[in-house]
Amino acid sequence: MIVAEQKHLDEIARMIAPYERVLILGCGTCVTVCGAGGEREVSFLHDALRLAQSRDGGMQHLFTEYTVKRQCDAEFLDVLADKVNEVDAVLSLGCGIGVQAVAERFEEVPVLPGVNTSFMGMAKEWGVWDERCAACGECRLAETAGICPITRCTKGILNGPCAGTKNGKCEANKDMDCAWVLIYRRLEKQQQLENMRRYYPPRNFLAIPRPRRIVTKAPVAVGGENE
Amino acid sequence: MYSTTTDNIQRPAETAARRAVHNRSLEPPCQAACPLHMDIREYVDLTAQGRIMEALQVIRNGNPFPSICAYVCTHPCEEACRRGQVDNPIAIRALKRFAVEFGGDRMVQAEAETRNTQKVAVVGSGPAGLACAYYLRKLGYPVTIFEAHSELGGMLRVGIPQYRLPRDIIDNEVQRLTQIGVQIQTNARVVSLDLLFEMGYQAIFLTIGAHQSLRMGIAGEDTPGVIDGATFLREVNLGLKPNLGRKVAVVGGGNVAIDAARTALRLGAQKVRILYRRSRTEMPADEVEVEQALEEGVDIEFLVAPTRIKRKNGSLLATCIRMELGEPDARGRRQPVPVEGSEFNSEYDTLVTAIGQAPQNAGELGVRLGRGSTIQVDPITLTTNRTGVFAGGDAVTGPATVTQALAAGRQAATRIDDFLQHRYPRPDKDTHQSPLGDLKPKTIEAIRKIGRLDPPVLSPEMRTHDFQPIEMVYDWEAAINEARRCLRCGVGAEILFQDKCATCLNCLRVCPYHVPYVDETGTIQIPADQCQACGVCVAECPAKAIVLRRPFERRRVDEELDHVLKSAVQAKSRNTIIGFCCQYGLYGTGSLAGLWREAKAGIWIVPVLCTAKVETHHMLRAFEAGAEGVFIAGCGEQCARENTDFWLRQRVEKVRRVLPQIGLEPERIKVFESTSSNGGDATAELDEFADRIGTLYIASILMQEVQN
Repeated sequence: MIVAEQKHLDEIARMIAPYERVLILGCGTCVTVCGAGGEREVSFLHDALRLAQSRDGGMQHLFTEYTVKRQCDAEFLDVLADKVNEVDAVLSLGCGIGVQAVAERFEEVPVLPGVNTSFMGMAKEWGVWDERCAACGECRLAETAGICPITRCTKGILNGPCAGTKNGKCEANKDMDCAWVLIYRRLEKQQQLENMRRYYPPRNFLAIPRPRRIVTKAPVAVGGENE
Repeated sequence: MYSTTTDNIQRPAETAARRAVHNRSLEPPCQAACPLHMDIREYVDLTAQGRIMEALQVIRNGNPFPSICAYVCTHPCEEACRRGQVDNPIAIRALKRFAVEFGGDRMVQAEAETRNTQKVAVVGSGPAGLACAYYLRKLGYPVTIFEAHSELGGMLRVGIPQYRLPRDIIDNEVQRLTQIGVQIQTNARVVSLDLLFEMGYQAIFLTIGAHQSLRMGIAGEDTPGVIDGATFLREVNLGLKPNLGRKVAVVGGGNVAIDAARTALRLGAQKVRILYRRSRTEMPADEVEVEQALEEGVDIEFLVAPTRIKRKNGSLLATCIRMELGEPDARGRRQPVPVEGSEFNSEYDTLVTAIGQAPQNAGELGVRLGRGSTIQVDPITLTTNRTGVFAGGDAVTGPATVTQALAAGRQAATRIDDFLQHRYPRPDKDTHQSPLGDLKPKTIEAIRKIGRLDPPVLSPEMRTHDFQPIEMVYDWEAAINEARRCLRCGVGAEILFQDKCATCLNCLRVCPYHVPYVDETGTIQIPADQCQACGVCVAECPAKAIVLRRPFERRRVDEELDHVLKSAVQAKSRNTIIGFCCQYGLYGTGSLAGLWREAKAGIWIVPVLCTAKVETHHMLRAFEAGAEGVFIAGCGEQCARENTDFWLRQRVEKVRRVLPQIGLEPERIKVFESTSSNGGDATAELDEFADRIGTLYIASILMQEVQN
């Protein structure tokens, strides 16, 4: 799941400053789960912005709020057409993908990001989120006992642990587990320690062509002969 | 200027009908167990908030004579109460007594007007008769009660001893009946129903009770000195003081036996012994009554039954035989079997038989009788074999409870109304069965254990020499603490908008009681019978998909806040401080309630039902409306729910983080908690907070001046 956090109120206030009518737009999926941009956070931000303008006596905005099921698909955004028509800007609390999808769907209106999209991860417990995947496009979790060294090792090294591990913790942050020690322990449990002895050649991240696209549909010609 | 689309601030007032549609609460077990089907959860909750008069109103809605039930109800609700699965059931009857006494029941004036011409006769003035008369009168019928004795009340007056039900309570209810125009004929034994019909009554409710004691069927039962329980209690209750001698035996194990034994003690008998043929477990008498009788010095001999009574040297010689318990009978009660050769003799001055009662003389009235000479009726319509004659109460069921009789009276009133209006009897819409199952062990484990607090009772020494009521009323704080223990079954949280639910698992993670779970389809379920209605998940759901089952509870904090904000504006209040204060417990109604009354001007209180329901939205709105400071006062460690304080503080921290970004000092928001020790400090704490806010307020004004 995508994890994001709401931007600082000051930054949001500066961003929306030029626009009188602003639609605060939540997303009902990932950002709802991580508590950054669901319906509750939309109203929290709404309340906070209203409070701020009630105190500073500056420009008075007219806010509306709405939360769609998912911002990253245009079909979910159709219901917004009328609402967007009536505002000067959309403040999207969706992830970066959501912001872009809304911006693409409503090209005449500026769409502003209300959250910082941070990483792909999961909840460790209530209110604590951990990064788990770097979307490198070349998954090797089979060899590392289901623990990703690219995201969970500070250095992202493929042949660990490095000399900086101490008591199972990382030298960069003594509260953080060393990913390679975790890998070692789990491989030990699975009796696959031989995986540790193998050498993994370095990966060339520069080679990832951006933006990436995955096409799952086959190139078929309707009505024609398909080979 | 602002507007919101999901505006939960300005909603049109909902009509009662709409509210009923939206009310998704489930019937709690206490209500299902109550023969009168009273809304117990509601009045206990109102009591916990200190809203005693409203609690009394709820009680009066479901019960024609709450003051009577407050003393003598056998409270089947308490047996059904699910708090009993955690520690002990809520003391519902005692709380009702508290509401009746403190809510001003004596001042309540009943009203009724005649809207129908058909006259109805009620034969018998026990609880069933009184209730039937009350409801028929409310329905607008002219009603006459015929009572064979000199005073009204039936078993209430002649059966129940005064120490359990003071007579002025009955008098007061009877007085109210006369006020609403019920005609009363005392000393009027009805011998012929035809006569009543001839007198112009179009319907008759027979509720003659079960005053005839059953005979033991042993030799010497008619010996002088042997008296039956019903007669004995009737004589004493109507003012006689029979001389019982020194040693008294009471035969039987029901409430009448216990009443007779305790009455005998109060009449001066020195030794009172109950002889019961089964053991304590099988004893049908109320547990508390048995306990109190033992405290008072009544001796109970179990597994003993008299076989012969003889008069000898001026006293009674009772031959008894010992029993042992055999196979359970059809009702599951183990049958006593005599132990051969175990006979023994004891001497008593008086022997009271109290082994059961039946209706008397009902056959003479021409109605068909059933088992144990009870009157046969259709259980739904309460009709007898004679047209226009209805029957209910002990005369139909055999000896039962006051509440059952009241329920029968109410049912009869409805049925007689149906009959007189030529309506097909409408079936009861109430299912009388709670859909709520038992609490799961892990839920029970998570619920805070708070022992039951019974109202004080006079010491055995003080209570045995007269007939004064022995139980006292709760004081204010005790009642509120007891009422707060209620688990509020069936009004908890539910995911009302499944389409909004992002299955984020927040509810599952924040629930202090581990109630929500993920089912096999990956959907979150919040089982209604486990939810404790603390409201934490409602406030924490990021999708706002969870709501409380009762609509007014959903809007409550918003509405109270609106009200306060409006009042504050009207009062042109400056340097306003808004406090969200829990209405349960000490801050709301207990010893700290006075705090707000003494609070400095400018402090406005928003009453909330547990601070766990105060959301960031409410705090921010208070600031937005111009509050200089906001505080939230809850019960802290005394809260009857778990973890509420933790979640409240999470939200306060969230607001604190955002305040500086708006240019407000984080110390403008504060949480107060009552702890067992800080009763005195709370005032000082609040003063200190108010002073601090005052300083910040002046500073901000100065800043503005400087800037200008």
